[in-house]
Amino acid sequence: MTHDVAVHVKGYLAVFATLLVLTMVTVGVSYLHLPETPAVAIGLTIAVVKAALVAMFFMHLKGERPMVYWPLGLTAFLFVALIVCLLLTEADHLFGTRFDDAFSEGGD
Amino acid sequence: MEIPYTTEARPDTGLTNPKLGIWLFLASEVMLFGSLFSSYALLRSGAPTWPDQSEVLSVPLATLNTVILIASSVTMVLAWAALKSKSLPRYRLFMGLTLLGGALFLVVKAIEYGEKFSHGLYPATNNFLGLYFTLTGLHAIHVIAGMVVNAYLWGPGTRMWHTQPERFTNRIEVAGIYWHFVDVVWIFLFPVLYLL
Repeated sequence: MTHDVAVHVKGYLAVFATLLVLTMVTVGVSYLHLPETPAVAIGLTIAVVKAALVAMFFMHLKGERPMVYWPLGLTAFLFVALIVCLLLTEADHLFGTRFDDAFSEGGD
Repeated sequence: MEIPYTTEARPDTGLTNPKLGIWLFLASEVMLFGSLFSSYALLRSGAPTWPDQSEVLSVPLATLNTVILIASSVTMVLAWAALKSKSLPRYRLFMGLTLLGGALFLVVKAIEYGEKFSHGLYPATNNFLGLYFTLTGLHAIHVIAGMVVNAYLWGPGTRMWHTQPERFTNRIEVAGIYWHFVDVVWIFLFPVLYLL
């Protein structure tokens, strides 16, 4: 039992070190002033990895029961749907497919 | 009446009731923060211009706060591990450090807010600052709420350790799951509001 906990503690410290390194990487990348798309992709990917490490190890999600995974899976789906559905209302603007703008620019 | 299934798993869910309860609560919290994150995504993507966030806010202070909050997550999990190895003094030490981390985070946050206010930057100044104050303000309220619970569990709450040690250990785990969630929210707020 005591031995088990000692092993856990080492694991937690390893996760801590990884989280600190990832924090430095994401801050370092931000100083490169990359174009928006790669900057957002890298920034969010690092954030997702960090959040996953915290959830898996500190929140003991690794090896948790299915009764925790089901509601969380549904929540994750709804969270993504919430963001995507709202963003789709700006899809023309995001993907440059707003034809009326193109016409009015040409017509002026 | 005793709360059922605080130490042994309920047969149908396979979980203790507090464990299931905290995860369902956190699922609702994800949607609460989700609504604000989606507002941010919509307002930013629809805006003709957006301020350079890292110019308006202080990246060094936010980086410091990220490190503080991650460290307090580590001390929280070490507090739980201390109880698992039956050491109340070590638990008190690590829980105390967790509280200290939360307090330091709020101090840094207050310094940041003060800086903005002194430069005439308020929530009503523009959409970005409105979102910044709303998201970080809601997050700070969560930090305070976690600290209140942790302070109770550090102080008077430890009485339970002498009568029901296993139940107390589970309480720390559940309080920890909430505290780590507050950390996870910050892990997303940091790049979204400061870096990108």
